[in-house]
Amino acid sequence: MTPLQFETAHAPQWDELQAMLERAEGSPARKRADRKADKKKGAIDGARLSVLYRRACEHLALAQARAYPIGMTQRLEELTRRAHQLIYRRHEPGFGIGRLRRLVLVDIPQSVRAHRGYLLVATLLFLVPTLLVGWACWRDPGFVLHLMDADQVRNFDQMYGPGPGSIGKPRSADTDWQMFGFYIQHNIGIGFQCFAGGLFGGLGSVFFLVFNGLQGGAVAGYLTARGYSTDFYSFVVTHSAFELTAIVMSGAAGLRIGHALLAPGRRTRLAALRHASADAIVVMYGVIAFLLIAAAVEAFWSSARWVAPEVKYGVGAACWALVIAYLGWQGRPRAAIDAKGTPDAG
Amino acid sequence: MPLDTLTTAETPEGIALPLRPAGLVPRFLAFAADFGIRIVIFFIASIALNWGGGLGAGLQLMVYFLLEWFYPVVFELSLRGATPGKRMLGLQVVMDSGLPVTPAASIIRNLLRAADFMPFLYTFGVLAMLWRPDFKRLGDMAAGTLVVHAGTVELHGALPDAPPRPPARALALREQAAIVNWAMRAKRLTPARFDELAVLAQSATGDEGTREDASQRLLGVAHWLLGRRGDGAR
Repeated sequence: MTPLQFETAHAPQWDELQAMLERAEGSPARKRADRKADKKKGAIDGARLSVLYRRACEHLALAQARAYPIGMTQRLEELTRRAHQLIYRRHEPGFGIGRLRRLVLVDIPQSVRAHRGYLLVATLLFLVPTLLVGWACWRDPGFVLHLMDADQVRNFDQMYGPGPGSIGKPRSADTDWQMFGFYIQHNIGIGFQCFAGGLFGGLGSVFFLVFNGLQGGAVAGYLTARGYSTDFYSFVVTHSAFELTAIVMSGAAGLRIGHALLAPGRRTRLAALRHASADAIVVMYGVIAFLLIAAAVEAFWSSARWVAPEVKYGVGAACWALVIAYLGWQGRPRAAIDAKGTPDAG
Repeated sequence: MPLDTLTTAETPEGIALPLRPAGLVPRFLAFAADFGIRIVIFFIASIALNWGGGLGAGLQLMVYFLLEWFYPVVFELSLRGATPGKRMLGLQVVMDSGLPVTPAASIIRNLLRAADFMPFLYTFGVLAMLWRPDFKRLGDMAAGTLVVHAGTVELHGALPDAPPRPPARALALREQAAIVNWAMRAKRLTPARFDELAVLAQSATGDEGTREDASQRLLGVAHWLLGRRGDGAR
């Protein structure tokens, strides 16, 4: 069979496939009149499309094997590429309400629990420096100067101390909004960097966890030693439930991909990395949600002066309990509980 | 074709779809264009939100945050699979399988942008792209995505007319393909080069020695190979 015979025999099918693809893709190059005509014709016949697609695949294979002219193989390649995209496009629901609901109710807490080993390591990496430095600064407030310069420390003194400009002073709703924007931009950015740093064998995540732990511990220890503990702890207790958890979670996600690179197991390093990131990104969805909540709480609630510290402690404790319960127990499928026979707080 | 930067994605039907990964320069240009667009958007948003007070400032920071991290995600998940800058350069983000990029993969590759940026100005990203034959940056490797040229290049056109004539000897498949492809590139090659190549292939047309109208005779062979037999005879 010569190329010309081949083309005359099959070109009608290719033309039909091409017309179908153009309709299905709804390319903007097509005129409005055409689109109206499309609507009259009704939906695309999927069965016919798949038949034509498989034909075109056969023809492409033949054309390649018989070294037919490049123009023809290129046309077939183009047709099969477009049809392949159309047919095998994963019809994920995207980020519609249903998907978000499932993410929040099931996927996020499940994937956080699936990373519990990494969570433990991340928590230790964060908590141990916090406690050590906190203790050191509490014993000797001067120790804080090893970690921060004097200006920063003076700043903290002003914020939480009794003087003017302290955080306890009333501030306008305007400032609340500004701080909300700032917390979103700054804190979520840090969460993302903590995750991305994991790509370097986990070192970046370790750095961010330890660094944030040192800073937090230093401030907490110093302010406690100075006697501003009520101001400070009532400020941080509520939003820290979300913020610290989120930082630890993003660190855990980063450690996960770092670990996949260092110890890929039975996969190649690249495949292990791909696999681990697909899992870890679900934890990052949780991080985004938590940091958004934390930003709102920090901007509008933590700084509210009209709330008594006792109330804030109460609400803070409730939030911590809520976060832990959510991550610990939310999203266990009923089937799994039945199988275990222990319906532990579904 | 080991010199080409083509990669292939195999489909379930057993054919290999060619993908043409985009290299450092088009991707840098696309990034620069996107960067400009982002600055313009932020500038306009800043003016629009500049009615004083903290609410405007807060919204500005949120716009900044969204532009910094989610500008590419939103556009990559659109039908075109490309940010405006990439679209200008004719690029597209696809999965390794040649399929449209998934939401999770798009978010992964754009969050890991922070790692590509390390230690400064995308050094690791650029090194990774220069290192790999498929020009993936770190985020692409983790997400399993590929930035490809969306369009195809048309190097081959119609054959110039010539009376069909049979080849002087049996031609192997590769030789047939070479002659037909040469004929289809008539419009892109200079006449001198076109003739020069025809002289090289003279063993196919038989009468070696005569250099004149060698290309005309080889064109005849090309037509014959495509299936034309002249005066109706097959």
